[in-house]
Amino acid sequence: MDVSDILAAHEAKQKAVTVEKEIPLEVDTGFLTVTDLNPVDAESYEANLEEYLMSTARDGVQTLIASLFSLPTTSSPDGPLAQLPAPTTQLPRAKPLPKPKPLTKWEKFARAKGIQKKRREKKVWDEEKQEWVDRWGWKGANKKEETQWLTEVPANADVDYDAAKVARDARKARVAKNEKQRQQNLARAAQAQGPSAAPAPVEIRKKQIDRTLAVTRTSTASMGKFDRTLEGEKKLKGVKRKFEPTIMPAESEKSHNLAILAKLDKEPAAKKSKKSTPSSGGSDVLNVRKAIRTASKGKGSAALAREGSSSKGSKGKKGKR
Amino acid sequence: MLRTVKPKNARSKRALQAREPKEIEDPRTAIFVKGTHTGEKVNGVMKELMALKRPHAISFSKKNTVRPFEDASSLEFWANKNDASLFLVGQSTKKRPDGLTFVRMFDYRVLDMCEVGVDMFKSMAEFKTPKATPGHKPLLHFASELFDTHPRFIQLKSMLMDFFNGEVIDQVCLAGIEHVISISLGPTPPSLNAATTTLQASSSATPAENSASLPKVHIRGYTIRLLKSGTRVPRVELTPMGPFIDLTLRRHQEADPELLKQAMKRPKLRKQEVEKGLGKKRKNLEVDEMGDLRGRIHVGKQDLSKLQTRKMKGLKSGRDDMLMDVDEDESDGDSSDGGRRRKRQRSQSD
Repeated sequence: MDVSDILAAHEAKQKAVTVEKEIPLEVDTGFLTVTDLNPVDAESYEANLEEYLMSTARDGVQTLIASLFSLPTTSSPDGPLAQLPAPTTQLPRAKPLPKPKPLTKWEKFARAKGIQKKRREKKVWDEEKQEWVDRWGWKGANKKEETQWLTEVPANADVDYDAAKVARDARKARVAKNEKQRQQNLARAAQAQGPSAAPAPVEIRKKQIDRTLAVTRTSTASMGKFDRTLEGEKKLKGVKRKFEPTIMPAESEKSHNLAILAKLDKEPAAKKSKKSTPSSGGSDVLNVRKAIRTASKGKGSAALAREGSSSKGSKGKKGKR
Repeated sequence: MLRTVKPKNARSKRALQAREPKEIEDPRTAIFVKGTHTGEKVNGVMKELMALKRPHAISFSKKNTVRPFEDASSLEFWANKNDASLFLVGQSTKKRPDGLTFVRMFDYRVLDMCEVGVDMFKSMAEFKTPKATPGHKPLLHFASELFDTHPRFIQLKSMLMDFFNGEVIDQVCLAGIEHVISISLGPTPPSLNAATTTLQASSSATPAENSASLPKVHIRGYTIRLLKSGTRVPRVELTPMGPFIDLTLRRHQEADPELLKQAMKRPKLRKQEVEKGLGKKRKNLEVDEMGDLRGRIHVGKQDLSKLQTRKMKGLKSGRDDMLMDVDEDESDGDSSDGGRRRKRQRSQSD
């Protein structure tokens, strides 16, 4: 029995798994990519393009598959999963890195003092009910004082003292304070991001109110002259005209006049922007587009050119039509 | 610029959060745009590339007047609107027939562009061979030394890698590897060889001359067959799957260095964060003290009314009232004695 054929075939198969190239292939398993940096063989490329491309691709894929199958795997119902390393090729991101969230006032303070954040349990144990209840919210433990049927009244309390109402007001005040602090944190974060871009909303609102008040005060028939003034109301301030002193140093007078001259020399901004947008025509004097339109009677430059050439060359076109 | 929206309900809030920049990014979505005129060839190429890019692809079926190299404002608008960061613009003009433009975005602005012309196109339908399952990740194969030396081809490689395989994944199913996209170049012309060895000595050459002398790009799609080899590593055989596309490079726009620098920034990931899900929000998962990952799942309330318990004669519904009568009779007669007797009987039977 001759087994040399079988052995040779087996060996050939084994050999086919490894790829020998002049320059070893670059494999990036993270991106499932292989790069073959060997120069293209011009002869076989010319001779049979598709076959050449397929054979180089096969070699590349063989190398990539070999490195993929040598990775550590975990099993899954769909087959083994290869754990990929991080990619070596750097590709640009699609979006910038996320910005860290701005710290709140408390977080800043806690960081400075080294206070660790403690997670508060959402549920608390209720001894009376013998069950876990929510700390806040519907049937929350924070409403216990408001809902209990008997409350202790302080010795010096008023006649109409309502313990439930006092407790409720205190709770509502705490909620309002928290909300206010949250808003302030938001405003502070906005301020930190772009101080010039957005002034604090309170400042804007103040200005708006002042402006509205000024308008309404002069909106009566007498332009506010005979209106009764309210207590603490300030006098309306208009724009005050300012005049230069009659006698001023020569230096400042000179610079003043020069500034006026410079202003006269410049073109106004509106006119400039109009001029800078160029019409599609060439020179400033002649509006070429408009000229073409009138010359061709609205048919366009192509029609004009055709007309010109036909009148020069053959005249018989008119008859054909 | 689109107006910034404040979410009004939880669903739209989640949708907006999904768009926010993340440390580990989602795969890029590509938009396929047709220009004022696209020939049959370009249409075919775009359709096939879209089939390969699915499910992260959006097709614009109408024609649009877009000139990416002159005015990119509409691209930026679309990128913002669809949360896409890749474009493939197909346009065929007299000057540049069968053109395709790959556009990559960063932060909804154009990062870089690369225009190619389609010389030859053979669609997947022309090959009567099995096709890859949509959504499976392709392998990528680049062949030529120019992919490492020539700036145009470095850009092309980076662009195509982003297009087909840009997502960073931590594991891949070996059984799911089905196809490979091979990108090879024609033989390197001697002029380019000399130019690269002397390191841009001939930079005075005009760009038009340069792009004419650049070798062709061959994109080929093959399916992979894994054969037994007797070792752990299988032997690979390829079957043509299509599409077969031949391209020539045309215009391009390099990335703005400032923008590119921003785009290349990498997040600093701590090991703990990597275990927690690579910057992605993963709910209901935690690592316990032993280092095991534990998940919490929500199971709906069980309907116990239809639960089949042990079948016994005594529990049959029809027998209920009969039994009641018997019990009443017994209790009437001798209250404590009857119970005792029954007990005795049970012990005897045991």
